[in-house]
Amino acid sequence: MCKLHASLSHCASVGQRDGLVRTKRQDSDIQKKIDHEIRMRDGACKLLAACSQKDQALEASKSLQTCSTRIMAYMTELQRMKEAQIMQKVTRRSSDAGAMDDRHPCKGKVAISDLRIPLMWKDTEYFKNKGELHRCAVFCLVQLGGEIFDTDMVIVDRTLTDICFDNTIVFSEANPGFEMRVELYSCCSEDDYSAGSTPRKLASKLSSSLGRSAGKKFRSAMEPGPCSPVGNGGATPLLLPVPSVPGPKYHLLAHTTMSLSHIQDSFRTHDLTISGNEECSYWLPLYGSMCCRFAAQPHCMTRQMMSGCLKVKQLGGEPQSWTKVFGVLKGTSLFCYHRQEDVEANVEPAFTIAINKETRIRASEKDPQSKVQNICISNQYGGEEVTHTLTSDSREDTHRWMEAFWQHFYDMSQWKQCCDDLMKIELPSPRKPTPVTPKQGSLYHEMVIESSDELSTVSDILARRMQELELRSQLGTSPNWIPASPHRCPQLSLLSSDASLTSDSDSHCSTSPCSHRHAWPEPSSHFPVLSSSPSRLRPRTFSLDAKLSTLRGRGFRGGGTFQCSCQPPTSSLLAPLPVSSRSPRSQRSTQTTLSCSSSTSSNSSSNSEGRLSPESSEGAPFSRPSPARRSLRNLRARLDPRNWLQSQV
Amino acid sequence: MSNFIPGQPLVAVVQRIEIKKLRQGDNLILGFSIGGGIDQDPGQNPFSDDKADKGIYVTRITPGGPAETADLKMGDKIMQVNGYDMTMMTHDQARKRLTKKNEDVVRLLVTRKSLEEAVKNSMGGYQRQ
Repeated sequence: MCKLHASLSHCASVGQRDGLVRTKRQDSDIQKKIDHEIRMRDGACKLLAACSQKDQALEASKSLQTCSTRIMAYMTELQRMKEAQIMQKVTRRSSDAGAMDDRHPCKGKVAISDLRIPLMWKDTEYFKNKGELHRCAVFCLVQLGGEIFDTDMVIVDRTLTDICFDNTIVFSEANPGFEMRVELYSCCSEDDYSAGSTPRKLASKLSSSLGRSAGKKFRSAMEPGPCSPVGNGGATPLLLPVPSVPGPKYHLLAHTTMSLSHIQDSFRTHDLTISGNEECSYWLPLYGSMCCRFAAQPHCMTRQMMSGCLKVKQLGGEPQSWTKVFGVLKGTSLFCYHRQEDVEANVEPAFTIAINKETRIRASEKDPQSKVQNICISNQYGGEEVTHTLTSDSREDTHRWMEAFWQHFYDMSQWKQCCDDLMKIELPSPRKPTPVTPKQGSLYHEMVIESSDELSTVSDILARRMQELELRSQLGTSPNWIPASPHRCPQLSLLSSDASLTSDSDSHCSTSPCSHRHAWPEPSSHFPVLSSSPSRLRPRTFSLDAKLSTLRGRGFRGGGTFQCSCQPPTSSLLAPLPVSSRSPRSQRSTQTTLSCSSSTSSNSSSNSEGRLSPESSEGAPFSRPSPARRSLRNLRARLDPRNWLQSQV
Repeated sequence: MSNFIPGQPLVAVVQRIEIKKLRQGDNLILGFSIGGGIDQDPGQNPFSDDKADKGIYVTRITPGGPAETADLKMGDKIMQVNGYDMTMMTHDQARKRLTKKNEDVVRLLVTRKSLEEAVKNSMGGYQRQ
C-alpha cells in the first residue's frame, strides 16, 4: 500500500489522461454537493418560516447561512476546476515532460479547536441590573479549501466575558499552502424580527411606545441597513445574498484568515478584523482577538511514506556485514524492524534512524559487486556525525527509496514547523445530543457560596424565610409594598417615616416627592438626608400613600418589622411597636432600621450589614448582630456587586 | 471633591475630625457607616458629585455616637485615616483601617461640599481655579 502511495503521487502528474478523468469525477462530486446543499437550504427556509420559537428560528437561520456559504464555496470551486481543466488542455500540448519536476507536498490534517473570543464590556454594563439583557446569538464558520464547518451556536449577553466554542473542527485533506478563514456571525436575539412574529411581544412593545433604541433596532432588523457586510468595503464575506425569509438574520461580525505560519502546538492569540460598528443591532464589544488551538498533522508524519526491505551495514563491524531489516519511513524517523510482521505486531524496531531537517542523504558510488548504489544517511548526534549505509536488493528499489526520501524532505520543507514533532489532534467525538444547558444566568448568580464554618444551618435559613412569608401575609400589601428591585425598597420604607418629622401623612406626601426631583438631595435642614439613590424611585401614587398611612396607623412603622428577616428574629421585633409616644426618638430609630432593605432578596440584606435594631434594647443602641449572620450576610453582600456596600464602624 | 482623576494629585479643602472610639464590651465603635470603595459600583453612591468617584463616603451617622460628637457629617468623603490615604481602598480595607483594635482615636481628614462653598464665599469675588 505504501509503495503504491509513493508511486501514485508521481503517476498523477504524469498521466494527463488520468488527471482529466479525475477532474470529471470531482466535477460530479461537487455538483452533487451543491444539490445537497440547495436542498438543505430549502428545508431551512421552510423551517424558518414555520417555526415560532426563538431558539428554533435562530438555529434554522444559522443552517440557512451555513448552507448558503457552502453553496457559494462549492460554486467557486467548480468554477476554479473548470478553469484549471481548460488551462490543462492548453498546456498539455506544449509540454509533456517536466511532469517529474512537479513535486507536490503531501497533504495533512488541520484542526482548530477551543475557540475563545474575549469580550470587552464597559464596567457600567457589568453593574447594570436593570433593563433588558442585550443578547446576541453567535456562531463561527470555518472554511478551508472547499470545506466549510460551522460551530454550535452560543447565546451571548453581558454576563459573559468570553465567547467559547467547544467544537473541534478537523479538515482532513489540506495543502501546506492553505488559507483558513474563520468568520464570526452574530444576530441580535431579543427583538421581534419581523412584523409577523409573536403578537404578544409586539403588543407589549407598542404599549410601552418605541423608544429611540428600540426603534433603531427595529429599523436595523427590518432593512439591510448600514451594517450589511457589503457596506463595509474591505472584507468580502462568504455570504451569498440570502433568499429573503422573515426571521433572524445573521451578520458578519468579525473574520480572520490563518495559514501555516499560525500553526503551533499550543494556544495562541490571533487578531480579528471586525466589521460593523456600535450602531448595529448585532454588535458585540469584541476585544479584537481570538484564542484557539491550531494544529496540523501532515500525512508524512502520520502515515508510512515508504516501506520495504533494506540492508544496513553494521557500523564498526566488518566492512561487508549487512543486516537485513524491514524499513518504514514515517514521521521523523526510519524505523528498522527485524521482520515485516513486527510492524503490525507493534514490536519495537531494531533501531531507528532519524530523518529530519538536519539529515543528509546521498547516494554513494556503485558498489563494484552488486552494481547497486548505497544510500548514506548522516545525522549529527550531539556534535558527532553518524552515518548509516543502506542498500537494497535492486536498483529500482534504491531509486524508489531515494525518491521517497526526497519527497519526505520536500514535505518537511513545506510543512515547516508541523514536522518537528507530531502535534496532537483530538478527533471530535461522534455527535452527542447537545446537553440541555441551563439558562445562562448572571455570572454572579452562579457562584456557589461555600462559606466557612459560620454558615447558618439550613433550618435557620428556612426559619427566617418562614418569618418573611409570615410578615408579608400579615401586612397583606406585599406585592405593592415590596418593589422588584432591592434598591427601591429602602427608599420607600425610609420615606414612610423620616421624610418629615410629623406623623401627618399629607405633609409626608408633599415633602417627599420634592426630594425626588433633585438628583442628589442636599443636606438641607428640613429633613434628614436620604441615604440612598432616589433617582430610580417609583413615583408615588395615591394608593401607595394610602397604604402607608394605614400601616403607620397599625403601628408597624411601615416595614419596620421587615427587619426581622435581616436581623436575628427576636420576638421583640415582631411585636408591634408602641405608637408615637416617643415620636422623635422612635422616628429616628425607625429611620435606622428602615434603611435595612426588604426581605425579598437575601442579597439586599447585605445593606443591613451591621445595622442596628434599636427596638430590641434602648440601653445598648449600638449592638451588632451575631457574628454568624453577619458573616453570612458579608459573604452574600460581597458576592453581589450590584449592592453598594455600607459598613458600620 | 470634584475633578477626581485617579492617579493624579488631588487638591481638596479638608477638615480634621478626631473621633474617640467608644468602648462597648468587646468592641470599639465609632458610630458611623461608610460606603464606597474601589471594588464597589460608584454609580450607586448618592453623596458623590462625580459618579465615577470610588472614594469612601460617610453614609450614616449614628445619633449620639462618637462621630456625631466629633462633627462628622453624612456625605463626607474620607480622605485620610490616621495618616493613611483612603482614596484608593477597597471597602473592606477601609473598614479595617477604621476599626483597628489597638487604636483608641482616629483622626480623619474629610472633605465635603459645604467646605468648598464656605471657602469660596469667604474669599469673596476671587475665583479659585
